[in-house]
Amino acid sequence: MPGHLSPGHHDPMGDDPSVYRIRVGGCLGPTFLEAFPALTAHQDGDETVLTGALPDSSALYGVLAEIEALGLDLLEVHKARP
Amino acid sequence: MLIDRHDLVALLDRATGKRVTVVSAPAGSGKTSLLRAWAGRPGQDRAIAFVTVPPDQHDAQMFWLAVLAAVREALSEGHGKGRGEGLSAGLGAGLDADPPPAAPGSGGSVLVDAVLSELRAGGRRFVLVIDDLHELNSAEAVDGLRSLLSRLPPDAHVVVAGRRDPPLRLHRTRLDGELAEIRLAQLRFTEAESRELVAAAGLSLPDRVVAVLHERTEGWAAGLRLAVLSLAGHPDPERFAAEFSGSDRTVAEYLLAEMLERQPPGVQRLLLRTSLMDRVNGELADLLTGATGSERILLELEDSAAFVVSLDPERTLFRYHRLFGDLLRLELRRTQPGEIPALHRIAARWSAAHARPADAVRHLQAAGDWPDAARLLCDRALGLTLDGRAGTVTALLRAFPPGADEESPELALVNTIAELNESRPVEAAAHLEVGRSLAAARPPEHRNRLALTIASLDLLLARMRGDLDGIREQVGALPPVLSVPSNADVALGSDLRALALLNLGVAEAWSLRPDDGERHLTEGAALARDIGRPYLEVACLAHRGFTALSRSPALARRRCEEAIALASRHGWDAEPVIAPALATLAATFVWTGEPGPAREWLDRAGRVVSPGSEPGVRLLFHLVTGMFHAARGDHGRALEEYGSAASVQEVMAGEHALANLVTGLTAAAHVRLGRTDRARAMLDALDDERAGTPEIRNARALVRLADHAPEAARRELEPVLDGTAPSRLRLTSVEAHLLDALACEALGHHHTARKAVETALDLAEPDRLILPFTLTGARRLLEAIPLHETAHATLIADILDIPRAVPAAGSPEPGPGLSPSELRVLRFLPTNLTRLEIAGELSVSLNTVNTHIRRIYAKLGATDRSAAVRRGRELRLLSAGRS
Repeated sequence: MPGHLSPGHHDPMGDDPSVYRIRVGGCLGPTFLEAFPALTAHQDGDETVLTGALPDSSALYGVLAEIEALGLDLLEVHKARP
Repeated sequence: MLIDRHDLVALLDRATGKRVTVVSAPAGSGKTSLLRAWAGRPGQDRAIAFVTVPPDQHDAQMFWLAVLAAVREALSEGHGKGRGEGLSAGLGAGLDADPPPAAPGSGGSVLVDAVLSELRAGGRRFVLVIDDLHELNSAEAVDGLRSLLSRLPPDAHVVVAGRRDPPLRLHRTRLDGELAEIRLAQLRFTEAESRELVAAAGLSLPDRVVAVLHERTEGWAAGLRLAVLSLAGHPDPERFAAEFSGSDRTVAEYLLAEMLERQPPGVQRLLLRTSLMDRVNGELADLLTGATGSERILLELEDSAAFVVSLDPERTLFRYHRLFGDLLRLELRRTQPGEIPALHRIAARWSAAHARPADAVRHLQAAGDWPDAARLLCDRALGLTLDGRAGTVTALLRAFPPGADEESPELALVNTIAELNESRPVEAAAHLEVGRSLAAARPPEHRNRLALTIASLDLLLARMRGDLDGIREQVGALPPVLSVPSNADVALGSDLRALALLNLGVAEAWSLRPDDGERHLTEGAALARDIGRPYLEVACLAHRGFTALSRSPALARRRCEEAIALASRHGWDAEPVIAPALATLAATFVWTGEPGPAREWLDRAGRVVSPGSEPGVRLLFHLVTGMFHAARGDHGRALEEYGSAASVQEVMAGEHALANLVTGLTAAAHVRLGRTDRARAMLDALDDERAGTPEIRNARALVRLADHAPEAARRELEPVLDGTAPSRLRLTSVEAHLLDALACEALGHHHTARKAVETALDLAEPDRLILPFTLTGARRLLEAIPLHETAHATLIADILDIPRAVPAAGSPEPGPGLSPSELRVLRFLPTNLTRLEIAGELSVSLNTVNTHIRRIYAKLGATDRSAAVRRGRELRLLSAGRS
């Protein structure tokens, strides 16, 4: 199933690789960024934006679990259409 | 460094007037500290059980056993006793202490019921605290918790704490005003509390410094504690505060770096290198750091900080605060990534050597040593499953990379074990075949070990399919398992050997080779006891009663009672593992004509026998239920049960020991209902081998008697009576003599009849086998016997004392004993609703519906939904008017 859906097609199972942009509060240093090896970070004021392609929604929830575990302030999750 | 947070403590106190408190806030908000301080206050008038869910808990049963242990512990304490001790004991139950062994593969709903009955029986105000609920990764356990909350007795209160709102569907509780909530906003430290925290740590800081700390951390507990650690002995707190305030780093990351920097190198090394462990002791810490004296450092850390907690009263085992451990792990990954696999390997070796196989597999997986991880999991999967940790096995299986199980015979075998545990023999067989073919390609040193596991699983699978001949064949191929294995295979070998003995003994028992069965089951039980596998011991003993049934029902009864007592000590007396003993025990009471206890044990057996139970047990259960009804004269109900027993036999690959008895009794029931033709037809259709068995001969004799052909009846019985076709069942022999007596009576040979009755009495006396007298109608012959002419006056008196069987028609139908909630579920079965939808309609959990349906099937003797509906309709249970 992966890869056969046209762009913009609704993907109920969330098993499409997608680019995500995740915004958290605070400036993440090198230690915290170890928690997000699949994502690149850039600082935006006193917030950090993590961007990268995640293979499916399970991977996204993995990232969100890390954010929860570290007690970070989750501000925004954005899924960019491929 | 626990400070008294009066407002929150008062809030928690007030909340106990409601049903549930939810403490929901992010990592490091001070949830656990608050709850421990609250629960640990001395002199409280309520019992408090404190359970902490261990990281990534997948096993519903392990969770419920920990809850049950903590509840029992809390209730067993006197009112006057200080809370402190009980609290640490409760924490121990959740965190580390080995929980009591669990019965593998059965639902946790029994345990939920056990918790509830403890709470009801406790008779005092009770609070159950469940901390770190977000770590509970078992849908079944969450279902159970929902069910617990909905059925909580009025003087009990539950506090659940975790990082996110629990999936407990509490909106109704909230609307009812029965829910109290404590969230991040309340948990944030006030400035005054921050000052208290600093003072409690023995620091004296200017108020303006504390104000900066409070503002920068926004009252976040973990931040404040890290700051306090960094400030201990700091030369210039003002500068620290200014730099902290000026940094744009997150609080946790900034303070972790500060705190680590202030530690001596040895401590830093220990903190980082032990951070991969859920728990650590001095010995393991020494191995991981390559240094000595780790235990002293751990003790000092616990004394000086809030982030290291000892788990036992002796203070030998420690864990980090979760968030702190996570931070340290990230720092380790950043600074020494190359070291991590080696550390995991050390941890794996240590865990494997210290009876923590699941941890060992997890560390091997983390090290990327997939083949080693698969081998270890394969060796330990059976043991873990028998310990009630099937959920852990499944979780470990899922952690392998996708496709790994297509190449690994070990993982195929683990899958087999997982499927067998779920009673899915077809899937299990498929995995086993994959494992077998992949194993053939392995080098010999691995192959032998795999062969051992494969052989043992073949045996278990054959048993689950009722393939009794298959089992005996498999055992022929088993010498390596049954001979004492060498070196490292000993532990694995003992598990497999005990399991093989169980399977073999069960096969022999069901195929009526009672002596062999008894020998193997006794041996299996002893071995299981030696290797600390109480579940296997109970399983062996539960079947052992049946092996005695043919010879001596009295002995069978004693054996069953012993097995049930042992099961009860482990809390398994309502688990499927004990079903054979329950059904066998019921049989002995049916046979001795004691309907009260027979009904009670049948009810208990009915609650644990399900369509997924092994065929031998199901057949026995239906047969005994049928005999129970026949003894009451309800031959219609008896026929239905015999029919269920016969349909179990049809799906069995081998012939059940009692198959002929089922057929014989079915024919007899037809005769009693006046359908002699049906009985004759079914008996005539049997092949010669079965036709010659004593049970079938007895049935044919009964047909001849009904045909008024007593001479013919006597001819049928002759081989049974003269020993050319002897019965292995004492019951059948007694019956044969009684039928002969009836035939003689009909022929006018009163003296011979009298002698036959006396022989039947001789045989029946030792075990008081009363049932044949009731079933054959021979009791009327007893009435004529002058008591001074018999050696069995007491037995005769007892038989005559039993009220005459009531005829089925017109008698009040007692019904199958469905509870009101089971009736409610039953009435949804004729609809198209799925089980999940029924659960929604009734506002109960899916798990509850499943449990009810299982019991409905058992009580109605149904194997599927349509059969249950049919039976419910016959009994007129489907209209809401009745009941």
